[in-house]
Amino acid sequence: MIQLFGMTKMLAGNQGTLSLALPDGKRVKDLVSVIDAAYPKIGELLQKKKVLVSVNQEIAHEDLEVKDGDEIALLPPFAGGNR
Amino acid sequence: MSLEHITKADQPATDDEAMLVRVQREDFSIDEELRRVRRRSKRIGGIAMFLGTARDRSKGKDVDGITFEHYEGMAQKKLREIRERALKDFDVIEVLVLHRYGEIGIGDNIVLIIAGAEHRAEAFRACQWAIDELKQITPIWKLEHTPEGEVWVEEHP
Repeated sequence: MIQLFGMTKMLAGNQGTLSLALPDGKRVKDLVSVIDAAYPKIGELLQKKKVLVSVNQEIAHEDLEVKDGDEIALLPPFAGGNR
Repeated sequence: MSLEHITKADQPATDDEAMLVRVQREDFSIDEELRRVRRRSKRIGGIAMFLGTARDRSKGKDVDGITFEHYEGMAQKKLREIRERALKDFDVIEVLVLHRYGEIGIGDNIVLIIAGAEHRAEAFRACQWAIDELKQITPIWKLEHTPEGEVWVEEHP
């Protein structure tokens, strides 16, 4: 299960989570491909690194292996704001 | 290791320490939070504070209200990291970091940073660094309510 926040929820059709099957031994970049196939708008933002993937509450590198039970989320740009 | 030690390690050192980093729906009292920092040490001689409030205008558009969404768990973790790094990297005695979530009315409090140091220079530096860092690394998102509809900030990157 992948947690969604902010605009990614809207881009997924107002869902708070995505349930996508990912075989064991896969990496973050494989997850990005699976999301890209199902939700191209989110996929595009992931490719551009406008939306980041977090694994176990840390921003994940694309080569990080995703394990069963990992907490995964898609993080759109943070509220940030002007200085 | 005794059971007592295991239990202690799983909990914040003191209740007060847990209160120094919070993500909460309800408003906060600035006086109360200042007292919380001051009572941590009598060596504090300078306190710098940053308070972020909800503006009624954003990128040339009127804003009627804001909703903040946060990633429960990761948001708290990042705020704790900010406090810990501020305490390590600056000559400060205490740092408090609070952020609200949910619906926030125009003019209402959003975020509070308080840095207490022996002298003002380090208090100012730590306070500015903490709010800048918070905006970079904390998974919190802002939905602005405008007369034309709702817009996630950075929705059109």
